[in-house]
Amino acid sequence: MNQTTQHGFEPKIIAFVCTWCTYAGADLAGTSRMQYPANVRVLKFPCTGRIDPVFILKAFQQGADGVLVSGCHPGDCHYIAGNFHARRRFAAFRKLLEFIGVDLSRLQFSWVSAAEGGKWVEVVTDLTEKVRAMGPMVEFKELALEEQWSGVIDTPELKEAYNAI
Amino acid sequence: MNIHVLDKSIYTAVTEAIRSEATRLLTAGDVTVIVGYAAARRKGSAQPIVITSSADADKLIFTPACVNNLAVYLTKAKKEIPKGGKIGIVVKGCDLKALVGLMGESQLKREELYLIGVPCVGVLASTVQPATELTAETIASKCRECDAHLPSGCDLLPNVVLPPMPQLEGKYSAEIARLEALPPAERWAFWKEQFAKCIKCYACRQVCPFCFCEQCLCDRNKPQMVDTTPRPAGNTAWHIVRAMHLAGRCAGCAECERVCPMDIPLNLLNRKMAKELKELFDYEAGFEVNEKGPLSTYTEKDDQSFIK
Repeated sequence: MNQTTQHGFEPKIIAFVCTWCTYAGADLAGTSRMQYPANVRVLKFPCTGRIDPVFILKAFQQGADGVLVSGCHPGDCHYIAGNFHARRRFAAFRKLLEFIGVDLSRLQFSWVSAAEGGKWVEVVTDLTEKVRAMGPMVEFKELALEEQWSGVIDTPELKEAYNAI
Repeated sequence: MNIHVLDKSIYTAVTEAIRSEATRLLTAGDVTVIVGYAAARRKGSAQPIVITSSADADKLIFTPACVNNLAVYLTKAKKEIPKGGKIGIVVKGCDLKALVGLMGESQLKREELYLIGVPCVGVLASTVQPATELTAETIASKCRECDAHLPSGCDLLPNVVLPPMPQLEGKYSAEIARLEALPPAERWAFWKEQFAKCIKCYACRQVCPFCFCEQCLCDRNKPQMVDTTPRPAGNTAWHIVRAMHLAGRCAGCAECERVCPMDIPLNLLNRKMAKELKELFDYEAGFEVNEKGPLSTYTEKDDQSFIK
């Protein structure tokens, strides 16, 4: 029985949340002892309006398989209109990513209020399961890996140089 | 004779009008400086020129080689243009849209400008020699889809009649449609190849009238949002950020694409975003000054079908 254990793929989900609604909603889910996948890494922001599209790019580049952006319901923004601006910005950003060739099912936007612990669990579970079924996000990771040395050392030129030492 | 040769005969009259107006303005002291085009050293080519004396007015020209968007000189290089008094500027329709955008963003004041509009049938593509005849093949891609042959709201618009222009097939719209029809993986492969060519010279940023930030996000290193080396990840991030920052602002002058030494189809991204913003928020760059662009305003009824 020399079977090696295969580690299954565990998706890495980054959640950009607003501190006033979704963060409190996630907190409620926690204090209510609701279970949700531990795959999600929560990053707290003052408002969804503070979440720059470049954060999402950075998350994908650094190894996220899925990204969740969540904030207050329209009309409930602590800063009056932050989520309205974010809504427009992300509507445009989605279209851009789609045109570049990114699969939009890895990117989820949601409104989760401070009272919606259950909705937070549902959103996180759905996204995690969806991304798990899709497998790892390779596109941006490949780009990032190309930044570094490929690790290939047995090229004829290098061997020749090595032998000449 | 090639049937596709475009009638650019009005440019002689336009040049005359620009010169006489420049002489009048500078002699009367209505403006202190005029930004326009002058002949450059290579045969048929043109370059931007800033004149402050009516003696130089004869240097001004307008030809199909006058490709530059002069609006850029009123933002970044503004420091080099003499202060005080009005600035006269020669504008094509596409350049005027950029100026209008800058006015909306409080970068320029209309009363500080004297706009000399150019009725334009098109300019040459960046891929051909400047002395080439203007034909349906050599015309710049942006001019094929131009809806602004006559700039409106200028202080002077030379009184010429635009010749009938043939309906040219839009290269950007065709290419956008082609890419949209591809599966995402093939689109990614296309853009990966395009972005891999980028050498991060930032010419696209420097030539863009709208990239006027004192410090670009991409030059900041604390935190470093976009890698600065000309490598795949940083290149991709840079071009996505650039397209996103221009969404709802780009006037479509296609200068980014013209100056790109690696021939990356940058305006394709800008046109795609313009198309999306038209569909989403019914916004288009035009000749009307809007205080708020589509992404700096909102309505409570905006589409949120993509939000759970």
